[in-house]
Amino acid sequence: MAAAALREQLNALLSSMFASGLVDDQFQQLQMLQEDGGTPGFVAEVVTLFCDDADRIISELAALLEQPIVDFDKVDAYVHQLKGSSASVGAQKVKFTCMQFRQLCQDKNRDGCIMALAVVRNEFYDLRNKFQTMLQLEQQIQAQQ
Amino acid sequence: MAGAAAERKVIRVLLVEDEEIHRVLARALLRSAVGGVELDEAGTGAEAVRRVRDGGAGAYDLIITDGKMPVMDGHEATRQIRAMGVTTPIVGLSSDTLPPDVDTFIKAGADDFTPKPLSKEKLVRILAKFNLA
Repeated sequence: MAAAALREQLNALLSSMFASGLVDDQFQQLQMLQEDGGTPGFVAEVVTLFCDDADRIISELAALLEQPIVDFDKVDAYVHQLKGSSASVGAQKVKFTCMQFRQLCQDKNRDGCIMALAVVRNEFYDLRNKFQTMLQLEQQIQAQQ
Repeated sequence: MAGAAAERKVIRVLLVEDEEIHRVLARALLRSAVGGVELDEAGTGAEAVRRVRDGGAGAYDLIITDGKMPVMDGHEATRQIRAMGVTTPIVGLSSDTLPPDVDTFIKAGADDFTPKPLSKEKLVRILAKFNLA
């Protein structure tokens, strides 16, 4: 596919990610840092770090919430970490769900936490898929140049 | 000290942060916002204290520190750095942003606090405040 068509596809994807609230201004900051700093792989590096962190944290949370007695302090610490990294990459929906999740931890609401984890997981998977598509399109555009 | 840094046009920053994603972002922002930066990184508060102790009082022009970290958190590191008599500006950086969280940093001896995520605007404000721009 020609570079122009790929670029159009990429722009449409990014527009929809912003319009749906999946990502916020912080993600735009990352893009600007990449362009202004002349560091082509910067967004990919940050996105990859976020996805690896989130994957690991979600697995840890699932394991903690399966325990007969839930350690809500540990759960809260992991959610805090996920909230921080989602904020840094501009993952707005994941960040907002983490904020609600932390409240449920503080209330020691196990069922609520399990539901919040399911929402976070779904939102993260949706975002990760879009990030993967974005990076693939960027690589294809780069290959054409 | 801050005036000397501005004249030198290279600022020496100690970034204290245990998570790689936040370090990568801060590195990029610092290099973008500051003409010349020498950046040291510490993954725990204990390592930060050691770097400051080994480097001496004038080792850094600015210290930016996370709150929650393993081994030693940013509040305790701030307390220990101040106890050494080091007056380098220290800025707390955390996603815990309720007044008690900010207060903990200030009472430990930090000069300022900024909520995560770090951004160009926040960094420019910090650099201007401490005359490092």
